[in-house]
Amino acid sequence: MGALPMTAARPAGWIWASAGLFLLAALLLPWVGSGSISLERVLARQSPDYPIFVQLRVSRTLLGLLAGGALALTGGLFQSMLRDSLADPYTLGVSAGAALGAVLTIALGLYDMLGFPASWAGALFGATAVVVIVAGAAWKRGQLSGARLLLSGIALNSICSAFILVIDSVIQDRRSISIIQWLLGSVDSVSYGALMVFAAVVLVTSIAVITQARAWNLLAVGEVWAGARGVDLRRLMITGFCCGSVLTAGAIALTGPIGFVGLIVPHLVRSRISPDNRILMPCSLLLGGVLLAVCDTLGRIVLAPAELPAGAVMAIVGGPYLVWLVRRRF
Amino acid sequence: MSSLLSVSNISFGYPGLPVLGSINFSAEGGEFIVLMGINGAGKTTLLDILAGLRVPDSGAVHLRGRPLRAWTVRERSRRISHLPQATQQDLPFTVEQMVLMGRYVHADRWFESKEDRIYAEDAMRRMDCLQFRHRLFSSLSGGEKQRVLLAACIAQCPELMLFDEPATYLDVHQQLQCFATLAELAREGALCIAITHDLNLALTHCTRVLILHQGKLAADFATPEAAKASEWLAWLSPRLRMTHTPEGNPWVLYQ
Repeated sequence: MGALPMTAARPAGWIWASAGLFLLAALLLPWVGSGSISLERVLARQSPDYPIFVQLRVSRTLLGLLAGGALALTGGLFQSMLRDSLADPYTLGVSAGAALGAVLTIALGLYDMLGFPASWAGALFGATAVVVIVAGAAWKRGQLSGARLLLSGIALNSICSAFILVIDSVIQDRRSISIIQWLLGSVDSVSYGALMVFAAVVLVTSIAVITQARAWNLLAVGEVWAGARGVDLRRLMITGFCCGSVLTAGAIALTGPIGFVGLIVPHLVRSRISPDNRILMPCSLLLGGVLLAVCDTLGRIVLAPAELPAGAVMAIVGGPYLVWLVRRRF
Repeated sequence: MSSLLSVSNISFGYPGLPVLGSINFSAEGGEFIVLMGINGAGKTTLLDILAGLRVPDSGAVHLRGRPLRAWTVRERSRRISHLPQATQQDLPFTVEQMVLMGRYVHADRWFESKEDRIYAEDAMRRMDCLQFRHRLFSSLSGGEKQRVLLAACIAQCPELMLFDEPATYLDVHQQLQCFATLAELAREGALCIAITHDLNLALTHCTRVLILHQGKLAADFATPEAAKASEWLAWLSPRLRMTHTPEGNPWVLYQ
């Protein structure tokens, strides 16, 4: 299917379709769950339907949509920046770095920092540190080597995971349980305050990333190529690494380390819709959100009343799909 | 009136390895210059410096009388295009998308304008790749890919076009077409500078020959003079001899 003619006609249609799906997920998924909720009782603000719907289901769905979108967009971003189809926050160790930072703040008993969850600051610090180390290790004579990048990402991933285990075994009390729960990667209901801040962060950073879509296209061809076509490489790379770290850290701090969404969604969009980042990036953002929210909903209902963490559902569904995709494409 | 391109006293070296020493020349629109020299003579390095991709250790490049470093990346890219020697091959973009990338500095909208598409179409026609504009770049042969990259450089519509071995991977007919197109672009007013190893292709199409030898600009000839002189051939290989075709055009024999 490699030589399929690509219709240039109405590429924006795909973005609208994805946005429609995103909206549909936001409207429908909160109604799905182990207990049924009636619209009348919610509208009448009757207990227990109203509090369950508003405080649990809606905030959870929104978190899934935002976090999934942030991770999928970062995956697409890293794949273009580093010209490597395997780059995503998870494989580059950025997720593990954010997780280590967040776990550290939980272990230290820090919960609040200037009104925000302390784990955000920890995750942001961890993610940034990993990005700097991995990019630094892979940088040689003005070029980033893909193999080096992935190898140092894998190394950083193991190092961070090891430190998380060390921290976890040292503290051994109820904080340890909350760390383990968090590490499973689950979309749990969060406060609307945190959700609003996260939504604002996703909005600002994704605008910063997506408005540079044409430059990411050029960068996907090569750095020399992009530089000679008029892309300001230094500014673009700094924008990319900063936005990627912020998006990953924000998502990871609220959900725990969730993998795959940053690989599956951009690959799916690239092979089925368009490799053009002007379409790929907004579609990845929207569809990544839908995928994570759907995985979370599935986890809520398949073994009800028990709940599967969304990270586990994503791995079970996404892993085999990715293998199939790789087999078809390469 | 300052030259379109003027190169004064450029030197460049890697640690422990001098590459270029005091290179001087200037050039105007309308010229098609061929840059030759043996492997490792510093041709690509010089071309990268002219493109602003490398900064020389000393000396300066002036574009329209203004130092190259004083131009912003965007201003510079409206005037200079550069074809690198090697590009990643398995790109998921279509031919048309690749060529439209050449319009990056001109398009200020989210999607390319009609005008951008007209320039891209013209460039694809010149490089004979219009017929496979909707194919994926990764599905093309090496020579077809090279033509697409050339078309992207042409679609950029610069005053100065730099090509690092433009005829690589091209079949004989496409090599001839490629050099004829570069000569045509020069006649239309652009300054084209190309690195090549094909002497006869160069002598039959270009207006001026530059030879790099041991880090110096060893020869700088207008093509008719280059055809009369022949000592410069020895810097490329001892096994070359200058002759002329029955029509009187220069022809280098390989012995």
